[in-house]
Amino acid sequence: MRRLPVYLLLDTSASMKGEPIEALIKGIDTMIRALRQNPQAIESVYISIITFSNTAQVLIPLTDLGSFQMTELKATGQTALGAALRLVTDRINSEIKRNTMKEKGDWKPIVFIMTDGVPIDDWKKGAAYFATCKTAYTVACAAGSQADTSVLKQITPHVISLEKADEDSMSRFFLWMSSSIGTTSVRVESNGDTLELSSLDELPPPPPDINIL
Amino acid sequence: MDFEKIIAYLNIQPEDKEKLAEFFEREEIREFLLQEWEVFLKTDCSPVEEDIINNENCISDNPDNDINMAMIPNIPEDEETKARQTVNNQYTDSKDNDLDRKLKSKHIQLQNGKVNQAYQCLFDITVFDIADIGDFELVGLEEIGLKFNPLTDLIEGIPNKAGDHRIILKCKRSEWAEGDPIFERPITLIINPDPRSLWNNIPTPTSIEYYKPDSDCKYVKVEKTKGIFGLGKKEQKDIVAASQRGRSHAHEGTPRDDDFSITHQDEEGWYIMTVADGAGSAKYSRQGSLIACQTVSDICNTQFSKYNKEADELIKDFEKDSSDVKRKKLGDALYNIIGSAVFKAYKNIEKEAQDKENQLKDYATTLLVTVSKKFKFGWFVAAFWVGDGGIGIYNKETQYLKIMGEPDGGEFAGQTRFLTMPEIMQPTEIYKRLRFEIVEDFTALILMSDGITDPKFETDANLNRIEKWNKLWEDITSSVDLTDDNENSAEQLLQWLDFWSQGNHDDRTIAILY
Repeated sequence: MRRLPVYLLLDTSASMKGEPIEALIKGIDTMIRALRQNPQAIESVYISIITFSNTAQVLIPLTDLGSFQMTELKATGQTALGAALRLVTDRINSEIKRNTMKEKGDWKPIVFIMTDGVPIDDWKKGAAYFATCKTAYTVACAAGSQADTSVLKQITPHVISLEKADEDSMSRFFLWMSSSIGTTSVRVESNGDTLELSSLDELPPPPPDINIL
Repeated sequence: MDFEKIIAYLNIQPEDKEKLAEFFEREEIREFLLQEWEVFLKTDCSPVEEDIINNENCISDNPDNDINMAMIPNIPEDEETKARQTVNNQYTDSKDNDLDRKLKSKHIQLQNGKVNQAYQCLFDITVFDIADIGDFELVGLEEIGLKFNPLTDLIEGIPNKAGDHRIILKCKRSEWAEGDPIFERPITLIINPDPRSLWNNIPTPTSIEYYKPDSDCKYVKVEKTKGIFGLGKKEQKDIVAASQRGRSHAHEGTPRDDDFSITHQDEEGWYIMTVADGAGSAKYSRQGSLIACQTVSDICNTQFSKYNKEADELIKDFEKDSSDVKRKKLGDALYNIIGSAVFKAYKNIEKEAQDKENQLKDYATTLLVTVSKKFKFGWFVAAFWVGDGGIGIYNKETQYLKIMGEPDGGEFAGQTRFLTMPEIMQPTEIYKRLRFEIVEDFTALILMSDGITDPKFETDANLNRIEKWNKLWEDITSSVDLTDDNENSAEQLLQWLDFWSQGNHDDRTIAILY
C-alpha cells in the first residue's frame, strides 16, 4: 500500500501557552475527524506529529489515520525551528519508502509547519538540510502577529498567516488543511502525479481569515 | 472550579495549578474578588452577564439581597450533586476527591476500531493506580455492538456504528454500600467508518469539455474459419476490453482518464490493441489518452494494410533465422509502422493542445500498444510501451510468461513517463521501447493500466512472476466467461473491474486477446 505521509511540525513554545495550544489541539482534532470522512484519505493518509520548543521531538510517529489518536501538548520553552526541520528531514529519509523493483514507494510527504514565534536556533542550517529532502509540498503557517513570516518564506514558497491563534481561525485552518490533504490524496490516485505544487491555488481555496503570503 | 481555563486565562504555568487552588481558597482573595465583582456589576451590568448570574436575583435590582448567594448558580440535579450529599466526613471527602482526580487526570484512550470489523482492546483498570477500586462498568459499549469481558479485561465485539463514541467508566470503591458515590470518567472510543460506505458515485457532467463516458467495453469477434464443407472449422482468437472510471474519480464526479482501442483486420489478420492512461494531474489527459489510442490504432491499421506482405516476409524470415541482422531488419520495419504511429499520436495531441491553446502536458498520457498476428508457425507479437501498467503474453498450460517491456517508475509512487514528454519522442527512445516476440501459442495477451497492475501485482518485480499471472487469470476467468465468440464477456469484464482493493481506486482498463 502506498502511503501518503503527512508531517505536522508544531510550535509548542511557551508563547503558545493557553488558548493557542488548546486551539491547536482542537484544530488537529477537527482535521482528523474531517479526514476520517474522506474514503481516499482513510485508506492512504499517515500522520506524524513533531513538536518543537527548546528541542524537537517526535510526538507521534507516522500512524495511519484510522489508528491515529491525538495526545496532549504542553507549551513551554523556546522555538527551536531549526531542530524541527532537521528532525523531520531525518524522519522522512528513514521512514518514507522509495520505489524499488521489489516495493512500490510511498507518495512524497506533505509537510505543515505551524509556528507563532521567532526561531532561536540556527534555523538556516535546518532549512538548508530540509531542502535536501523531497516533499510534495510544504505549507508554513504563521499563527498570530509575532510569527516571523520572512523566516518561513525561506523554508517554503507556500506561506500563509493567521491573524489570531484562536480556536476559530485555528479550526478553520486545520479544516482547510484536511481538505488540502484530501485533495492531494485524490490526486495521488491518478497515475503519474508528482504531487508537487507550483502554487497554493492548486489546493482548495483557504478561508477568508487565512492570508496567503 | 475549572483551573485549566483559569490557567489559560491568566497565562500562568500549568505546574502551578495546585497553588492556584490554594490561592483561590484564601479568604482575602475571595473577598477581594467579590468586591471587585460587585463594583463591576454596579457599573456594568450588561445583558451578557445577566445570563451567567441568576436573573431573578440580579444585584442591581435587589440591592438588599445577599450578594454571595446571588452569584452561586442553581445546583444542577445530577449524579454528582447527589453523590456529594452522602459524603459525611472530611476524610472520605478528600479521599473521594483524590480518587476522582486520579480517575480524571490519567490520559486514556481506547484503541480505534472500524465498523464491521472485529474489535479487541485490553482495558486495564489498574492504569489509574487506584488501590481500593471495586466494581466498575463501561457504559455505552453495547449500543455500538461491543462488550467488556471482566474475565479477560477485554473490550470485544464488532462495532456497528462509526463515530467518536463517549464511553463512561463508572466505578465504585471496594466496600461500596448503597448511597456511596459512584465515580465517572468519560473515555473516547473512535470507530472509523468502513471506507467502502464513504465512496460516492457521481456521474461525470456531460457538459464538460472532452466528455467521455464513465465506463466503456468492447468485444471484437473473430469468427471461426470456414473450413471445407463445414469441416475443420478452427476457432480464432477474439479481443475483449473494458475500462472503468476509478472510485477516486467517481467520488468527485470527475471523468475517466483511461482509454483503449481494439481492432482486428479481417483481411490481413492483424490484431491491434492499445491501452492509455491519462495523467491524473493533467487537465485534459482524458483526451490525450483518447487521441493516443485512436491515432495509433488508425495508423497501424492503414500501415499494416499497406505493408502487409512486406511485414509477413520479414517475420517469416526472422522465424527461420533469428540472427541479429534479421532482427534488426524486422525491428526497423516495425519502427517505421508502430514508431511512426506513436509519433503521429504525439503530434496529434500537440496539435490539439495548440488548437485549444492549452499546454501539451495538459494532455499527458501513458501508452501501451500491441500488434499481433497468427502464422503457421505460431504468433507474432510486437509491443510498444511508455509509462506504467503492463503488457504480458501468458500461457496457462506451458506456464510461459513474457513481459513486453518495462514499466517506467520513478523514485516515489506515481512518477512515470508520458507519451507527451518530448524526450520520449526521440528515435532511440521510441526504438528502445519496441519489443517483438514469436511464440507458439498463448492463453492470453493482456494489456492493462496501472489501475490493475498496482492492486494485482503491487510491484514491478511481481509483474515477472508467473504465480501472480496465474492468480490474475484465475480471478478474471472466475467471473468472466472467456470462451470463443462470447460477446457477453465484455460486460462481464467491465463488472470484474469493480473489484475492491484498499487504497487502489484509479481508473482501470484492460484489453485481452484470447
